[in-house]
Amino acid sequence: MKMKRNYKTIKSTVFGLTAATLIAGFTSCGKKDANSPGVEFMPDMYVSPSMEVYGTREIDGDTMYSTEFLPVKGTIARGYLPYVYPNTPQGYEQAGLYLKNPIALTPQVEKDGEVLYGKFCVHCHGATGAGDGKVGQKLPGAPPAYNGTLKDLPEGKIFHSITYGKGLMGNHASILTQEERWKLVHYVQKLQGPKEAATDSTKAAPTATVAAK
Amino acid sequence: MHNHMSHFSLKSLFGAVFLFFAFSFGLKAQDGAKLFKANCAVCHTVTDQKLTGPGLAGVFDRIQKGSFATKEAWAHAWILNSDKVTASGDAYAKKIKGENGNAAMTVFEGQLSDKDVDAIIAFIKAPPVEKVADGPKGPTGGGESTEAKGGIDPLYLLLGAIVLIAIIIGALRSVRQSLQNTYNRKEGKPETGDVTFGQEVKQWISGHRRLVGVFVIIIGFVGMKGCWNACFDIGVYYDWETKKGYKPEQPIKFSHKIHAGDNEIACQYCHNTVEKSRHAGIPSVNVCMNCHKGISKTANEGSEAQIAKIYDAAGFNVKTAQYDAPQNPLKWIKVHNLPDHVYFNHSQHVVVGKQDCAACHGDVKKMTVAEQQAPLTMKWCVECHRKTEVAMEGNPYYDRLHKALKEKYKGQYDVKFTVDKIGGLECAKCHY
Repeated sequence: MKMKRNYKTIKSTVFGLTAATLIAGFTSCGKKDANSPGVEFMPDMYVSPSMEVYGTREIDGDTMYSTEFLPVKGTIARGYLPYVYPNTPQGYEQAGLYLKNPIALTPQVEKDGEVLYGKFCVHCHGATGAGDGKVGQKLPGAPPAYNGTLKDLPEGKIFHSITYGKGLMGNHASILTQEERWKLVHYVQKLQGPKEAATDSTKAAPTATVAAK
Repeated sequence: MHNHMSHFSLKSLFGAVFLFFAFSFGLKAQDGAKLFKANCAVCHTVTDQKLTGPGLAGVFDRIQKGSFATKEAWAHAWILNSDKVTASGDAYAKKIKGENGNAAMTVFEGQLSDKDVDAIIAFIKAPPVEKVADGPKGPTGGGESTEAKGGIDPLYLLLGAIVLIAIIIGALRSVRQSLQNTYNRKEGKPETGDVTFGQEVKQWISGHRRLVGVFVIIIGFVGMKGCWNACFDIGVYYDWETKKGYKPEQPIKFSHKIHAGDNEIACQYCHNTVEKSRHAGIPSVNVCMNCHKGISKTANEGSEAQIAKIYDAAGFNVKTAQYDAPQNPLKWIKVHNLPDHVYFNHSQHVVVGKQDCAACHGDVKKMTVAEQQAPLTMKWCVECHRKTEVAMEGNPYYDRLHKALKEKYKGQYDVKFTVDKIGGLECAKCHY
């Protein structure tokens, strides 16, 4: 009698286990939801108490999103250099007069400038700086050509424009370091073309440019 | 003869004058638009929309001619050199400058001829009526994936079938039992009474022990395999069968296809910390605004509403073209996640390792919704480290190390300097 009973419990345990594995097995067959980040096991190992750059954070009961955090007042980013000319028409003129490129032009600098131009400028200003980039064509007005309207733009003004933006162009100080901006200035100057020819062509320009358009 | 000659030249002169007039008239109509697009449209529109400078719709109703002969004369002088007009003490000029933050308008003296300026003025006074944008309806801003839902999940079909069979079995059983009872009654045998379903099943099983045993073993193994597979899904946002990964719906229906594909914007323009930092970076809205300050809608359906979300986030007021509204940070959802116990560095892989973005992220230029393409498991990392050769060309910082490596493995075996040879499989490289 006792024997039989034991046999019965073993049998029911086996059945129970089979059923459990079956359910677990079948539930894993379901397709994944594209919006779901999936199953996490022991989330403590995934999400450590250290601060992550992107994501949410509980602060005093409020859920804060990472983009809501601003740098602590009075702090500066590593490698940050101040820029003294203000974002005003006067600052623009002053930068044009007094601001000079601290980086000497070498073949390597020009190469770096070209690479940077290909990443940060070309989609609006175009490969030759004529303002015919893919995005530039979609803007209400194409950016002025480097070897046209902007032929005589001094290096200080170029740097100032990249830093603060000009017209429809936004500021690029947050995505380019000063060093990178100066390298770009060298490359933009290359696209402006030789300076001597500039003075000649501006005199003949008015009719010529109109005719070209 | 003489007479005849003069008559001829008079005729040709007439023709020339006529041609000149026709030409210059044509020039005015066509080139006004072209000149405006080339010289003015960077800052002005002919609608109400303000860009850097004010929108010019109905501007000649606003201009006060002051000391100039006509409004057109004022505009002419203003276009050529706005500073001169302001310096002359013109009241309206001063007002305009003040309204636009004293920004200097480009001086066009020497760039545009008087005729060009007149053409521009003619164009501003009578701009062509804007056609209703019914251009090519390109792909929408993304979001609605065209993937069909693929019918009903087979799991539910199976469950449905089981329920159906159970019902049929139950019905047949009760029919059979009542028939059996009727038969028994007729034969004068005692009724079988209430044989429960459980009892009956038990009876059947004891009669077919071997079959049931085999069946249970098969089911058991299938279930265990299912469990085993399920273990590989823990912490992995990836469907191994379809090779598709995590693809969350983002706050803006941003399409990489339009931006990186069609418009050929480099990945690094928006993800600009990829070469400098551990993170590739989700762009801040000021990067969006670098282009979208000027582009508030495109030919794509629903684009205006999506771009308006950027303006909302940046606190950009389209009417005044100023950032004077409250800011609402965008809550982008990170697609590629690694657990915190793994260290991964983008700059290390992109700058030193010279890896292309597509090596891990797939062909993002074709994605309307950003999607994880690689499983991002440790096996995947290790496999790549085993087969990827170290980028020794143009990596002068590591010249000494690379030389030492070549020395160390000299003649030992046919060496390809893959990442695992320089410690790419060491635990502490990523886990610490």
